[in-house]
Amino acid sequence: MHLDRVFRALGDPTRRAVLSRLCTGPAPVSELARSFDMALPSFVQHLDVLEQCGLVRSRKMGRVRTYRLVPQPLRAAERWMAQQRALWERRLDQLDNYLLQLKEEMK
Amino acid sequence: MTATVQHDPRLDLVLERVVDIPPELVWAAWTMPEHIKKWFTPAPWKTVDCEIDLRPGGIFRTVMRSPEGEDINNVGCFLEIVPNRKLVWTVALAPGYRPSNPTFDVPAFTAIIMMEPQGKGTKYTALAMHKDEESRNTHDRMGFSEGWGKALDQLVAQAKAM
Repeated sequence: MHLDRVFRALGDPTRRAVLSRLCTGPAPVSELARSFDMALPSFVQHLDVLEQCGLVRSRKMGRVRTYRLVPQPLRAAERWMAQQRALWERRLDQLDNYLLQLKEEMK
Repeated sequence: MTATVQHDPRLDLVLERVVDIPPELVWAAWTMPEHIKKWFTPAPWKTVDCEIDLRPGGIFRTVMRSPEGEDINNVGCFLEIVPNRKLVWTVALAPGYRPSNPTFDVPAFTAIIMMEPQGKGTKYTALAMHKDEESRNTHDRMGFSEGWGKALDQLVAQAKAM
């Protein structure tokens, strides 16, 4: 999984709105497109971006293509951000402790 | 000359701390190898070596040792140095501003540390900016009013409830 691509996909408000909608369950293209004031080809491009990075999967039944959410990449993205934050929090905790120690020594 | 910082809430971390320590000492802790070695790497990892050439284009190198004894060399380059106020470095460039080869275990980032006196102490802000190659081109188009982190949190919460 390419986190770079997941983050890029999440950077767009239309795509985030699609993901929000799919959180409530699978939906056909026509229903998804209805909520957005956008030409269908542009909208389908957004869906393609989401599918290419694994955030959604689609299936065609007859003439209807239905999309559903794949939550794993979202969790991976969340985990990565949380790891980065934890690293910096711990680093700065250590700095603050060290600074207090320095201050004590200088007394 | 001080560049303006464009902060991208989707990929950046901002941490703010207030310490009861004067800015000069906080600055020393960020810029002197003997200090850096004491705190820079989150335990149980250790900083076993550090090299600092404190000028724009100068080296900022740390060697982190894992609990298993494996050493990882991190080489970065200072970009901006305003004593007791602001320190900027990146691991996306090698010393002398030469573009560095990406490594996969350490995500590319630029760090901006800003300090200001607050009473007898210091308020410092650490901003870690992560790489997102294509976002720069689409930056204006996307509209960054809403915090990315928050949007993601909500999505993940919803996805978990599925």
